[in-house]
Amino acid sequence: MPGLIEKAFIEPFDRLAQQLALVVPALIIVLVILIVGGAVAYVARRLTYRLLVTTHFDRLMIQTGVASTIDRARVFRSPSDFGARLVQGVLWMFIILLALSATNAQMTQDLVVRFVNYVPDILTATLVLLLGSVVSKFLARSALLAAVNAHWSGARLIAGGVRLLVMSLAVVIALEQLRIGRTALLVSFGILFGGVVLGGAIAFGFVARDLARDWVQSILKSRASEDEEVFRHL
Amino acid sequence: MKENGQNNLSTELLTRLNEIGEAEIVVGIPSYNNARTIGHVVRAVNAGLAKYFPERKSVIVNSDGGSNDNTREAVLSAELDADSVLFVAHPVRLVSRISTPYHGIPGKGSAFRTIFSVAKHLNAKACVVVDSDLRSITPQWVELLAKPILERDLDFIAPYYLRHKYDGTITNSIIYPITRSLFGRRVRQPIGGEFGLSGRLAAHYLEKEVWGTDVARFGIDIWMTVTAIAEGFKVAQAYLGAKLHDAKDPGSDLTSMFRQVVGSVFGLMETYSSVWQSMNGSQPVPMFGFPFEVGVEPISVNVDRMVKTYRQGISDLREIFQGFLSPQTFHDLTACAERSGEDFRVPDLLWVHMIYEFAAAYHHKLLDRDHLMQSLVPLYLGRTASFVLEVKESNAFEVEQRIEELCSVFEAERPYLDHHWSDTSRKEKNYARAN
Repeated sequence: MPGLIEKAFIEPFDRLAQQLALVVPALIIVLVILIVGGAVAYVARRLTYRLLVTTHFDRLMIQTGVASTIDRARVFRSPSDFGARLVQGVLWMFIILLALSATNAQMTQDLVVRFVNYVPDILTATLVLLLGSVVSKFLARSALLAAVNAHWSGARLIAGGVRLLVMSLAVVIALEQLRIGRTALLVSFGILFGGVVLGGAIAFGFVARDLARDWVQSILKSRASEDEEVFRHL
Repeated sequence: MKENGQNNLSTELLTRLNEIGEAEIVVGIPSYNNARTIGHVVRAVNAGLAKYFPERKSVIVNSDGGSNDNTREAVLSAELDADSVLFVAHPVRLVSRISTPYHGIPGKGSAFRTIFSVAKHLNAKACVVVDSDLRSITPQWVELLAKPILERDLDFIAPYYLRHKYDGTITNSIIYPITRSLFGRRVRQPIGGEFGLSGRLAAHYLEKEVWGTDVARFGIDIWMTVTAIAEGFKVAQAYLGAKLHDAKDPGSDLTSMFRQVVGSVFGLMETYSSVWQSMNGSQPVPMFGFPFEVGVEPISVNVDRMVKTYRQGISDLREIFQGFLSPQTFHDLTACAERSGEDFRVPDLLWVHMIYEFAAAYHHKLLDRDHLMQSLVPLYLGRTASFVLEVKESNAFEVEQRIEELCSVFEAERPYLDHHWSDTSRKEKNYARAN
């Protein structure tokens, strides 16, 4: 009878206690990492936010045109808020990785290693997208202003096209960096880009030949009238 | 052509200047492809020097930007003593800059810099600059621009012309009112093109580090005028009659001209912010010469195209404008675009507020400055169309009165500028509130 009680109750409890003795410290470490890390991430967000506000980060973002992109998401109060939360998010990512590696399980270890190896690619792709966004906005605005001052009626269309083209290029480069659908993506982009150019040429030169003729005539007419004008501005 | 390492003059020119020694008057003529008109200008200047300053040693300097239409030959073939004419080349195209890189970027300002350097080297008491495309210059212009410098100890003589009511619209709607309301002196043609200046002011200009900026291009005229006023030099005007010149400056388009001139004004507002912020109202400046009535050339204006560009600007550039203009100003500008035909107007108060908001946006760098200037062009064309429609039936006197009214609004609305200048942007303020 004592043998049965030992086998039925005490031994399982012992095994459970031994397993708990192995898991609980790891869980406590994970919890501590999450709590302390969360606090650190919060403090980092607050500090980053203060720093960005003090250094007029919002103004810089307005100047580069990125502010309107951030506004469009309708999630962040300001570019400074976005920057601070970005820092917090990145910190949280590392905290979670740290917590996972603290569990000491083979599966999580593998996951952490794979993710850490992937981080440079993610950062590069993010940078490419941010740069693409700034450059595409700048070029689109340059094209828009030049087209308006040249009296072209399709100014916004031209600017939109410029933006789409530059952003498409940035997205393709970013996805290439992340090794997502490399070949298929490049082929698709090539087909898409070639198709757009060819389609545009056919549409403008053949289907819309009347439009093309009117357009060319209007340009010539406008140049002629400019030449006739002797208006002096200075 | 070799250049001297200490200034922007070539070795050959320095040799020639050393032969001359000193001169009391230097008359500079910047040129670029002006073969058709420059001979007349050189003859008029030479006659003016001979008639009004026969005892003073004088030098005519033609600072050419690499003309390919025999401009320099036209100067040489003018009937005057060839020994008294110097030819100085400054580059207009980038390839030319390579051969004479010391002259800086191509443009009128670089040509002026060479002329000022010559004046300084010759220890000139007076330096006169006149455009090479003038058809209405007379010998008396030299007297009117140089005599007040030589005999009244003045430093800067700006021109005063009679112009057609549609002529010089950037001057009338932006440059003159801003110069006057900010710097307190009523110089009617701050970017006239013809100036008289003292040797000390020419030397002072040379010391400034501006020759790599838009000042070296179209910005030179307004920079010279504002610098002279803001730095306390003695300023006056000379009545020159009518200004008739070639219709177009070759190679220049409105957008780049506008960017250089108006951008220079906004830049000068930053440079001299402490000066204008402590100044209120405006005072007339002394006028030399005898005012007389003259006929001016008729000018054709395509109002419809200007209004169309304005409307397109308001429609296509709305996101850009909303980024830095106040909601009220943008709303009013939009309302103007809806008025059609003869009723199209951009009122004075709206125009003044808009210009001040652009100046503040330039100051706060709320947008790339090139883009900011470009976005102002369609609005300026709208205002010009409005002005043309408004003064269609007016005579020269009435038009001048109308410009005076606009200047009064610019002066009265100075607090509006002060507020926007010291304030951060609306969008930034919204963020600050949200933060």
